[in-house]
Amino acid sequence: MQQGNIAIEVKGLSKDFDVSESGKGFSGKLKALFHRRRKIITAVDAIDFEINRGEFVGYVGENGAGKSTTIKMLTGILVPTSGSAEVNGIIPFKERKKNAAKIGVVFGQRTQLWWDLPVRESFDLLRVIFRVSQPDFNSQIKKLDKALGLDPLMNMPVRKLSLGQRMRCDIAASLIHNPPVLFLDEPTIGLDVLAKESIRNFLTEINRDEGTTIILTTHDMNDIEQLCKRLIILEEGKIMYDGETELLKQKFIHEKVIEVEFHDDGNVIQGIPGVTVVREQGCKTWLTFDNDNYGIGDVIGTIASRYEIKDISVNEPSVESIIRNIYNTRVTRATPSEESRNK
Amino acid sequence: MESIKIYLTLFTTSMKARMEYKASFLFYIFAILTFYAGQFGLLFILLNRFHEIKGWSVGEMVFLYSLQAFAFGFTNLIFSQLVNFDKMIVDGEFDRVLVRPLSPLGQVIFSKFEVSTAAHLIIGSTALYFGSRYGNIDWTFYKVVLFPVIITGGVLIAGGIRLMVTAVAFWTLRNRSLVHTVIFSSKEFINYPVNIYNVGMQFFLTFIFPIAFINFYPAHFFLDRSGTGLLHPLLEMGTPIVGLIVTTVSIFSWKAGVNHYQSTGS
Repeated sequence: MQQGNIAIEVKGLSKDFDVSESGKGFSGKLKALFHRRRKIITAVDAIDFEINRGEFVGYVGENGAGKSTTIKMLTGILVPTSGSAEVNGIIPFKERKKNAAKIGVVFGQRTQLWWDLPVRESFDLLRVIFRVSQPDFNSQIKKLDKALGLDPLMNMPVRKLSLGQRMRCDIAASLIHNPPVLFLDEPTIGLDVLAKESIRNFLTEINRDEGTTIILTTHDMNDIEQLCKRLIILEEGKIMYDGETELLKQKFIHEKVIEVEFHDDGNVIQGIPGVTVVREQGCKTWLTFDNDNYGIGDVIGTIASRYEIKDISVNEPSVESIIRNIYNTRVTRATPSEESRNK
Repeated sequence: MESIKIYLTLFTTSMKARMEYKASFLFYIFAILTFYAGQFGLLFILLNRFHEIKGWSVGEMVFLYSLQAFAFGFTNLIFSQLVNFDKMIVDGEFDRVLVRPLSPLGQVIFSKFEVSTAAHLIIGSTALYFGSRYGNIDWTFYKVVLFPVIITGGVLIAGGIRLMVTAVAFWTLRNRSLVHTVIFSSKEFINYPVNIYNVGMQFFLTFIFPIAFINFYPAHFFLDRSGTGLLHPLLEMGTPIVGLIVTTVSIFSWKAGVNHYQSTGS
């Protein structure tokens, strides 16, 4: 096996789906039986990226952007239409078994465990399937139990677990063979805040302590902000951003929002270069200012010297609002109401 | 060897999972018993109702039936999970099969065994006994040695066909009705000697859908019959070769299917 620094290498990777459309209603369906209208849908469109060992990468995009399709190609489930992919130096769809031994996979929507069996038996079976020795298995389970609190769940049938409990067990199951690369497809979907928190803490831990490379798809931007240093944003099968999560803000935010509170109402802010008033309500005024051409210090200084203010704050837009804006309009314009909601 | 151990563990686990639902398990046993009562009924009808069809005596036809019962009995035992395979595709459950370091086909096959189909083998043995007796089979050394070879060939034919039909699900998603037609209804054709059909049908059952090799052709060897129907003397021993061809083709179509697998959304 290749022991280089690169965990995943993707070049010009594409996947087309051949979708046959059926018409509306019974007659349409009947027609479709004889007369198939075929449509090619490009779910993933010639993407390139490299992921180094030990990275924690967020892979996001709207529904249908091609996130899961990419994950499925990297895990060997789907054969790419064109392009190449290597995971741990292995071509996933050509050497499925070899690839499977070196990756962990969690699909949030679907369990990897045996529905009717106690968790312990699923784990035992996975131990056998992944050819993990008994001592290695025992120490790994001990570690996972400590971090994820599995012990009380071990003898329960999987179908009786709550979603949060099941997800903890599913993540543990994907790590029984201690894989160097872990794929998580929406692992926090449908979980409550506490369950999300415990899973996030655990993921941070294994990424830091074991150096596990993690690729995470999610719709929860808090996952991304708390976990992923690097972010890849996918749109209609193409990568539209690949870089540090922090830098996303610099790249896409050209305006910042300033919230000013006066002692009494009736104050009107005007005549400050680069500043636009967005909303006024009672004693409060929301402004946006051109982040690229004017310094924040100057703007605040000018406002403070001209007006009697009670409070002033600058709001950093959340990653979620940035991405939402990218999706919606591709013109980043954080509105005050959005900002106060996301604070 | 190690993988066999893994597959067996997979199998025993799936049995445990099934026994979790005790009532359903009991109903299932009951259904199986009812089904086999019906099969014995068919054998009884064969023995009583007919005297001779197209030069085949009742004893000979019972022997014909025994070959078929053995081949399909073992096939059901080994490939029972394939009947429900389209569900694994539609539910996207096949995803998890592909992310485990074991052969996908092995995992599918070993995820469930119809142990109950062993009853098929009891029917086969019964038919074999009466068939040998009334069909006046002279069990020479060669016949005894070749019997398991022919049955194995029959299993390869029946199992290969089943696998090929199963693989269609990779393209069409749902294919249960096709599976049922091909697997369960088609074998009715070879309950009788195929020379009762017209030449076109015989050709079909020999070269296109070669289930005549499961019982009709090899039966000539065991019964010391001279050729009937499309029979060329060489076809008598064709079963193992046809079995290998069908199985090879079916494994290729399965592999092509796995590579065509489209999974489900999200």
